[in-house]
Amino acid sequence: MIELDPVIHAAARLRISATLASLDDGDRITFPRLQELLDMTAGNLSTHLRKLEDAEYVSVHKAHQGRTPVTFVTLTRRGRRAFEDYTDALRALLGGEK
Amino acid sequence: MNNNSAVPVDDEPLTSPDDALALIKEQRRTVTKRQLGGIPWVFGVWGIAWGVGFLALWSGYDGGNPWFQLPLAVARAIFGAIFLAASIVSVIVISRLGRGVRVASGFGGTVFGISSSASFVAVYLIGVALARAGADGPLISLYLPAGFGMTTGLLFLMGAALWRSVGQVVLGAIIMVTAVVAPFFGAPTNNVVMAVLGGGSFLIAAVAMHLGLKRGRC
Repeated sequence: MIELDPVIHAAARLRISATLASLDDGDRITFPRLQELLDMTAGNLSTHLRKLEDAEYVSVHKAHQGRTPVTFVTLTRRGRRAFEDYTDALRALLGGEK
Repeated sequence: MNNNSAVPVDDEPLTSPDDALALIKEQRRTVTKRQLGGIPWVFGVWGIAWGVGFLALWSGYDGGNPWFQLPLAVARAIFGAIFLAASIVSVIVISRLGRGVRVASGFGGTVFGISSSASFVAVYLIGVALARAGADGPLISLYLPAGFGMTTGLLFLMGAALWRSVGQVVLGAIIMVTAVVAPFFGAPTNNVVMAVLGGGSFLIAAVAMHLGLKRGRC
């Protein structure tokens, strides 16, 4: 029986994971840019990022660019592996579709 | 971003693997479109620059454009201005593409950026050396477009290797072939070859990539 990771298997978190997985390993994206690519509200994105962060699938870093605070989000190795396992599981459920 | 336009999302699990896979594909398509959407414009701008710039040069030389002739200084000024404008547009568009993303290893991109500028300067300096060694105007007017064209083609091939882009391999190869073939037509006809084959390739690449992004094939 193939089980899908419940942390990723929700529309919002799946879209967040897919977006972060499209970046190269270790690349970081700012919160506003991620929000722009997802068309999500800041509150909604924060809520789902927290769930992914609790599962250690994403890491969130706060930094400063000059005097402006910037929040960077990145997919962790664990998160990338979980997303790959999730997409493999989906394909297996669909009979090996690419 | 206007929050009113945000897509409402909830915490509900997806109903089927089909939906989940479709959502992943759709999101990847959106990300690609938003991150690469400016590239067709860059190709288009360079297509116009090559077309107009090299046709202006062709019109500046004796034995070139049979319909009208430009003073060579004016033709060179048009060429310089339009290439400068295209460079500025490219830098602005490309710097906006990567906004908000901090790459873990920028080594490849940095090497690419520095070697691009350095190689164009090198082609120019070799031209200066050739002129000092006695190369005349027609010879230099064959060398410089070919040299810059070869460099541009090579840079596209380097970029294709870095960013795994088949489209860039095709464009880079065509630009290189153009640069190699053009001098065989002699001066000033080499400029027409650069304008039509080189400029045309950029314009076709612009349209192809725009359509590819629209249909989610890039």
